[in-house]
Order: sequence, then C-alpha cells, then structure tokens
Amino acid sequence: MDNIAGTKSSLTWAVHISVVILVALWLFPTVGLFVSSFRTGDQIASSGWWKALSTQEAQMSPIRVAGEEAPGADGFLIEGTLVQGDTTVSAWGTSSREPEAYAPGETADLRDGQTLTVEADSTYVLTSPETTEGTRLPRVFLTASSPPEFTLGNYEEVLTSGTAGAGILQSFINTLTVSIPATIIPILVAAFAAYALAWMEFPGRALLIAAIVGLLVVPLQLALIPLLQFHNAIGIGKGYLGVWMAHTGFGLPLAIYLLRNYMVGLPRDIIENAKVDGASDFQIFVKIILPLSFPALASFAIFQFLWTWNDLLVALVFLGADDESLVLTGRLVNLLGSRGGEWEILATSAFISIAVPLVVFFAMQRYLVRGLLAGSVK
Amino acid sequence: MKNLLTGTALAVLGAGIAQADGHLTFTPGEGDFNWDSLTAFGEAHDLSGQTITMFGPWRGDDQALVESVLAYFEDATGANVEYSSSENYEQQIVIDAEAGSPPDIAVLPQPGLIGNLASRGFIQPLGEETQAWLQENYAAGDSWVSLGTYAGEDGEERLYAFPYKIDVKSLVWYVPENFEDAGYEVPETMEDLKALTEQIAADGETPWCIGLGSGGATGWPATDWVEDMMLRTQPPETYDAWVSNEIPFDDPAVIGAIEEFGYFARNDDFVAGGAGAVASTDFRDSPKGLFASPPQCYMHHQASFIPTFFPEGTELGLDADFFYMPAYAEKDLGSPVLGAGTLAFKMTENAAADVFMEFLKTPIAHELWMAQSGFLTPHTGVNTETYANNTLKKQGEILLDATTFRFDASDLMPGAVGAGSFWTGMVDYAGGKSAEEVAAEIQQSWPAE
Amino acid sequence: MNPAVLGLITIILGVGGCVGYFWASNFVLDRFLFPASGPNAGRNINRANAIRPWLFLAPALLALGLYLAYPVVATFWLSLHDRAAGGNVFVGLDNYSQMLGEAKFREAIFNNMMWLIVVPAASTAFGLLAAQLTDRIGWGSLAKSLIFMPMAISFVGASVIWKLIYDARPEGTDQIGVLNAVVTFFGGEPQQWLTIQPWNNLMLMIVLIWIQTGFAMVILGAALRGIPEETVEAAILDGASPWQIFFKIKVPQIMPTIVVVWTTITLVVLKVFDIVLAMTNGQWETQVLANYMYDKLFRSFDWGVGSAAAMIIMLLVSPILVWNVYNARKEMR
Repeated sequence: MDNIAGTKSSLTWAVHISVVILVALWLFPTVGLFVSSFRTGDQIASSGWWKALSTQEAQMSPIRVAGEEAPGADGFLIEGTLVQGDTTVSAWGTSSREPEAYAPGETADLRDGQTLTVEADSTYVLTSPETTEGTRLPRVFLTASSPPEFTLGNYEEVLTSGTAGAGILQSFINTLTVSIPATIIPILVAAFAAYALAWMEFPGRALLIAAIVGLLVVPLQLALIPLLQFHNAIGIGKGYLGVWMAHTGFGLPLAIYLLRNYMVGLPRDIIENAKVDGASDFQIFVKIILPLSFPALASFAIFQFLWTWNDLLVALVFLGADDESLVLTGRLVNLLGSRGGEWEILATSAFISIAVPLVVFFAMQRYLVRGLLAGSVK
Repeated sequence: MKNLLTGTALAVLGAGIAQADGHLTFTPGEGDFNWDSLTAFGEAHDLSGQTITMFGPWRGDDQALVESVLAYFEDATGANVEYSSSENYEQQIVIDAEAGSPPDIAVLPQPGLIGNLASRGFIQPLGEETQAWLQENYAAGDSWVSLGTYAGEDGEERLYAFPYKIDVKSLVWYVPENFEDAGYEVPETMEDLKALTEQIAADGETPWCIGLGSGGATGWPATDWVEDMMLRTQPPETYDAWVSNEIPFDDPAVIGAIEEFGYFARNDDFVAGGAGAVASTDFRDSPKGLFASPPQCYMHHQASFIPTFFPEGTELGLDADFFYMPAYAEKDLGSPVLGAGTLAFKMTENAAADVFMEFLKTPIAHELWMAQSGFLTPHTGVNTETYANNTLKKQGEILLDATTFRFDASDLMPGAVGAGSFWTGMVDYAGGKSAEEVAAEIQQSWPAE
Repeated sequence: MNPAVLGLITIILGVGGCVGYFWASNFVLDRFLFPASGPNAGRNINRANAIRPWLFLAPALLALGLYLAYPVVATFWLSLHDRAAGGNVFVGLDNYSQMLGEAKFREAIFNNMMWLIVVPAASTAFGLLAAQLTDRIGWGSLAKSLIFMPMAISFVGASVIWKLIYDARPEGTDQIGVLNAVVTFFGGEPQQWLTIQPWNNLMLMIVLIWIQTGFAMVILGAALRGIPEETVEAAILDGASPWQIFFKIKVPQIMPTIVVVWTTITLVVLKVFDIVLAMTNGQWETQVLANYMYDKLFRSFDWGVGSAAAMIIMLLVSPILVWNVYNARKEMR
C-alpha cells in the first residue's frame, strides 16, 4: 500500500513539474512582449528584454552636452548631468573612434581650448574660454552601468495620444458592439443545425456535414468583395448589421462542426427515453440538449468572441475605417504610423487588447466543468 | 545653436497654445504662410453641411498631420472631411472600389495601382484645366502630369491623379561628427563615394548600414538602390524604357545597375553584419547603427522619411545629416533625383470633392504640412521659408534643382513586379544569386499584356 | 441611435427572432400542417419528421450559402477568367497552367504539405498533453489560462513576439533576440534564423503551434471531462496504470474530438498567411499557398491566378472531408 502511495506522489510531482515546464515554454515569449511594453523603443532595439531586469554595463549612444552657460574662472562653464537616475560611469570619451578614452574624473582637452570633465555619477563640467553661444557642444560617449529602467510612457501614449486617445473608448465600445451579437447569434443558429445533423434522420446528412467542413476552408479574402457588393445592393451598406451577418456567416461552419461533434457524443438513452415519453424534437433540444451541451457552447463562445475581438479585416471591410466606427484593433494598428515598426506601441497595444479576451476566458472556464454527464449514464 | 533651435520650438509651441479655438495648428494670419490663398479659397467656396470621405495611407503621426491640414479646409469651406486609413490600405481600396462603396477622395503612393483602378473605370478624370495647372505650377510639371496620367476604361489617356506630398529618395544619411572624428569628407561624386567606402573598410570600420527587411514588403529598400544606380549609369530615357518594359528587366543596362548595388551590399567588409545580414535586417532598425557607440556604420542610403526611425532626441543637421547621393563625374548624366510620393484622386462624382481637389492647388495646402514635418512639394508658388527646418528645406531644394526627376520605378511597374518579384528578386540577389539569374526571373514575372 | 443600444436591441431581436422562428415553425408544422392526431396521424408524423430537420437547418444553410458557398462559386468562375480591358474573358484553365508553371507555387505546395503534417500533429499533441496534465492539479485552471493566452493575442502581436525571439544582430553587438543571445552566450555565431533553409519553415510553424495549442487544449479538455467517471474508476480498480488509462481508455473515448481538433487546425493552417506575411513574406523559400494567393489578389491584382490558388487550397481539404464523412457515418451507426 505504501508503495502504491509512493509512486502516486512521485507521479504527481512529475505532473507538476511537466506543467511548470510547459507553462514556462508557452509563457516565455509573452513575457518578453510584456517586459518590452514597459521599455522605450530605443531600449527595445538596443538590448534584449531580459537585460532590462538587471543592472547592465553598456556603451551608451552619444549624449550631447546641453545647458545654460555661466561665467567661470577663465571664460565660461556649463555644468550638468548627462544621465538622470542611478548611473555609474566606468569610462567615457568624446570621439566615436575612442569612446572609452578617459576614466571618470579625468579631464579631456577639446578643441578651441575647451575642457570637459565627467565624474562617475555622470555629472560634468565643460569649460570654454569663449562663449559657447551658437556653437556646437561636444558629444559624450559613456560606458556606464544603469539600473533597470521602466516607463509607463507607452501605455500613456496608446491610451491618451492625439490620434488614438479621444477615440479609444469609442473604439472599445464599437468592438464590444460588434463582438457580442456576433458571438451569440451564430451559436444559436448553429446549435439548432448541429442538433439536426447529430440526432435527426434525413437523407444526405453525411454529405451536408462534409460540405460544412469544406466551407471552413473558404479564404475570407475571396468572400469580401462579392459580399460587400451584396450588402451595398440590398441597402445595408457598411454598418453593424453587415458586420454581424458577416461574422455569423464566417463563424457558422466551425460552430456547427464543433457542436455537432459534441452533441453526437451525448448518451442516446436520454434522448430516446424522452422521445418515448412523448417529447417533441423542439422540447428535447431546449430541455435536454442545450443544457447538456454547455461546455461545448462555452468553448465555442470563447473562440468566436476571440476572433471577432481580434478581427480587423472583416470590421474594416463591412463596418468601415472612419473615426466613428473604427474598432479597437484598427485604432491600435493605426497608431503604428504609416511605416510601422514601433515595437513598443505594438507590445503595449497587444496587452491592452488582450485583457478583455482573458477575462472572458476566465469567466467561461467555469462552464467547462466535469461531470455534467456524470450520473446520467447507465 | 541648440539653444536657438529650442527657443524657436518653444515659440512655435507657445503660439500653438495661445490660439483660441485649439484645433488649428497655426494661427491664421501669422507666420510666412500664404494665408490670402486660404481666405480667397474660403470665400469662393461654401460647402456648409457637406461631407467628403477621404481615404489615405497616412496613419499614426502622419494621420495627425493630414488632419491638421484638413482642419483648415473645413474651417474655410464649412465642409466636413472624414479621413480614414487602414493597415492594408491597398487591399481596402480595391475591395471598396469593386464593391461599389468607394470614398470620395483617395490618396495612394502607388501610381501603378492607381492606373489599374483607372483602367477599370473606378476613377474620375481631373480635366485639362488641372493638367495645365500642374504643367504651369509644379517644377518639372510635365513629369508630374505624366505620373498622374493613365489609360481609362475606354483606353484613352487622361490625367487622373494629383501629386501631393513628395519624398526624395537619393539621400545618404550620416553623422557629421563621426565623419569629423575619423577625418572623412562628404563625397561629391560617385567615384569619391566608392573611394570613401573602400577607405572606411581599409580603416577597419564598416562603411554602410543596409537593411532590406520590411515584413511583407521585404526587399523594397534595395529597389531604391537599384533605381538610384540606374539613373547614375544610364540616361533617363533608358530608365523610362525599363519602367515600361520596353527594354527587358534582364537587359545589360539593368543588370549593370543591380551589380552597382551589389558593389556595396554584397561585400562583407562594406556592410554592418556582413552581406548575409542585409536581407533580413529591418530597414527601420538599420539606421540605428549610425548612432551606436562605437558606430556600426558610417553611411545609410534611405529616403527623406527615415529620421522618424532615428533614436529619440536626434537633432537633424546636428546629430545627423544627409548628402545627395552623388552621380558619376565621368558619365555626365547631370544630377538625377529619385523620388516617391502620394497622389490624390476622385472616386465619386461629388461636387464637394472637386472643391477639395482645387484646395490642393492652393499654396497653403502645402505650406501647412511643410511647416510641420516630412512634407516636400514641387509647387513653385509656395513660400519655402515655411519649411519647418533646414533639413527639409535642403531636401526641397534638391527636388527643385533636379536636372532629372524620376519617380520610384517599383511603384510605377505592375504590382506583380514592383510589389512582388522585384522585391523578392532583390532579396535573392542580396542572398548570393547572380544578377543575371535574378533579372531573368523578374522579367519572366512581368504580366503579359 | 447609440450603436451599443442598437447592439443590445439586435441581440434581443436576433436571439428572440431565432428562438421564435424555431418555436413557431415547429408549432405550425405539428399543429396545422401535419397534426399528429386524427385519421392520418401516422402518415403525418412521418411527414413532419421528414420536414423538421430542414426547419432546424434552414437559417444556418441560408447564411452558409450566402456567405460562403456563393463566394466559392464566384471564385471558381473567376479562376476560369482573366481580367482584360473591358471585362472578363473566358480563358479556360490558363490560370491554372500559368500557376503550375511558377516555381513559387510549387514551393508553396511543398511547404504547405510540411505545414499540414507538422502543425496539426504538434498542436494536437501539445494540447492533449496540456489538457490531461492540468486536469487534476490544483492550479490547473491558472496553467490553462497561461497556455491559452497566445490564442488571445492577434497574429500581428504574435509576429512581433517571435521576431523578438528570432532577431539577429551583427556579431559583437548586443543581441536582442533570445535565440541568438543563447547562441552567442555559448560562444556561437549569431544566426539569421529566418533565412536558414529549410529550418526557417519550422521557425514559422512554431509560431502557429504556439498559438493553436490553446485551442486544442480547451476543446480536448472539455472532451476529457466528458468521459464518465465510472469508466475511469473501473479501470483504476482493474489495476490499470496511468499510462494505460490515458492511451487505452481516454484517447479512444475522445477520438472523435481529436479528429475535430485536427481537422480544425488543418483548416487554419491552410488559411493562415498573416504569420508568413509578417515574418518573411514567403521569401527564403517559406512561401505557403494562402500567402501566395494573397500576393496574387492584392499585390499583383491578378484575380484569375489568385482565385485558382484558392481553388487549390479548397481542393487540398478533400482528404480531410473524406475522413470526416467516414467518421460521421461510423458514429451514426
């Protein structure tokens, strides 16, 4: 008996460790994005995100001396700090060819009789016999170690910048307005169809199932023009009705396919007993099938919600891209600028738009429960 | 210098804050702008209550800029302009045109695509008056007219699109102080540029940063190189023949230009990261090598928009500058300039849209954007003093002084080539394929008429 | 009206309309058309039962026909035509033969085959593993949420994440890509991962596997929980090892669901182009059919060849269709 318990607990340990490894693998890339969303674009492009977590020594991009000049002992002098914050300089220079020419505290002789001294805490003193007004001040190359530095600037920019800020709440509501009906309606329509395909006898049933699976592969890009043409022709043009219909159409095949697969696995006896008791198909569907199919309905709802939430293409085509009707994804993508490539904004917007789907997943997860069927089988 | 500039910037900011209504960037009546042209325009046109839908490629900061210009149009005429854009704007515009719900005004950077839309009857011609206006008021007017002229549905050639907002491409960016530290001079001729390249390599440094990566459009920066080299090794007529495929893509003239690019990009000693890194380095990351410590490279060939991707706080003219990509002294081809830009066109028969196209002819429509950033214009009626800074002004002068101006060939070629095989071919070439082989493949992909 | 209010009304109308339609149509069928009483009761029940499935199916079939089947027909028509000045010209199979002659197309077909083998298999396997392992541990639902998270990230976001992993910088400079940072840490040379053939294809596949595992896990997890407790308990009493319970009892029980997950991911693979477009655009021999099609449609504006490529994509599903029909027939028996 002890022996069995022993293997059991070691097995449990193995399970825990495997899950930890699996989760770590899957989470690792996202963590990178998350950390990056708190760094500036320059930081992301110049050092790995994992380095943002600890103190690093690096050669920094040149910093130009700037500040108000004051009259000094002989001539003028400018004092100031090159880098704000807790930075320790280990070497510095004023030429790109010799960026580590001087140690902290040493004084460099520059042209025109200027001298520059940089201390370890990155404070500096520049002296000049002539006024520096209207001349170019020197650049300083620092090799310094700086503590981790994070910024909320990206979030601030995404949420409040001129092009997005005012509209982001509107876009948020737009996206919700698109995705909630576009999740509920296909589920309902699909549930009835799935029941018919799973539990009703009629000729051509298997072929119909195959056809529905086949429709899953229709590339969206091809459907856009004929359908927008159709919407324009029947007069609904671009608007919410059109988006809902489009999402319903595109989401149906998977919904029917998933739900039918689940329903067909429900125990035959329950349905047959109900039929013997004189229940109609409609009653069986509403009173027995729907409640039993909750896990399947919930999982499909999660996915359909995710797709409509993250969708950009369908919304742009059927709803439009103007300021009033832009969805959240569209608004965030437009923030990236005409030439794209602003990783910090991308990272930040990814985390802003991921929040709601995750809440939905958590909320729906409790419906994915075990044992709805327990006890109902012989 | 820096203090002076900051002072000006503060003054501009102050002016911005001081204005009463808050939605206009510059207070009407102040500065060097041609405010008269706006007032006159507003008096001539009343569009109160009318709405114009406009679709363009500008997003993010650029969207804020175009909307700041549109605000003046709305203010003057009372019209409401609904500007929108999207990530895959080319796709969006084609879908909308085909499905029958186009915007009133569309703006695109690809003349090839506009020509395609025109040939299917989706665009309204602009008329001969506008054509005459362009010839009259744009520097090198004829070349701009031909840029916006396409065959319509009936096969007849008309002016369909109006060039607005130009980028100059023949620029080499560098950090002046890095040049000074090493004792290099800005080259005046292509011979000098090549000598400088070899000298930097001989000094044990890396002369160039070249990056072709651009996600779905990877390869396009190389097409700019090849086009620039084409204009520097061949007369402009050959360039035109190449664009229209009158000479095949694998003509020795084209192969020569590709190999000129190869001189720079396929030499491990000449490019940061070695030739192998060229194709996959992102074009947006590539210029950052100029500013690294120690510098990863000394020069970067890219269009006038690239300062957007310089490290934050970089001051143009001080921390970074550009020089004109020089021509061969021995070839006597003048100083050719390669450019790109966006063209506006009408997709519906909305009378208010006609008024908007008229607005684009006023100097103020150009100056308002010039005074902010990233906008160059060949409009000869504008006050060049309104350019936001010296860098822009210098670029504007390159545009006005060009003895030869040619539009980006890849934008003019059919999409299958200009936004397809030309890009991929250049990636293959950077990866080691021979120029002959690559050019032959691109020629093969040229759509048969 | 505020669109949110409009949305609410639409939900009520839509849901109410759907329920109303199903209820009313059944009511009419049973009460008035073929009442299950009176002299013809038996015949009427049979007739009503022949019609009823179509009542249940009607809304779905209408939507499917309009939004998916009709575009397929239109695509087939387009694939036989070429756009020329003044309209479409019938060109027969020219588009197909032109496509087959392109090296990029053949490369796409080959790569797609690889994708079709690797991605569904790996995603389903990882998904099943995750579903089984997290099923009975305390922090299982947290673990599930974390593995599921990539599903909630848009393709654009995912591409950025993986670019941050595969990024390469010149030797001697700081690597910002994790993979190259590891390589250089152990003294290796930084690699341009996305250009190394044929492994770059695998690099792209990993992105999709990373995303789709969450899907497989959720669906398979629901199926695993649907297995009656008694079955498992009986096996434990018989002294079956955990391995045996998993492979001999659980897996066969959820086989139909595995088929469904496999099929769904296969279809996603056939359609996915965002990842390839954003990361390599099919260069360095990583082209896939969906991206090839996108390229033809919206870059070259060659609708003929683009549609032909779409038809090939749809043709590639047919083995899966056959497999599903076979499975459906088996279940119904």
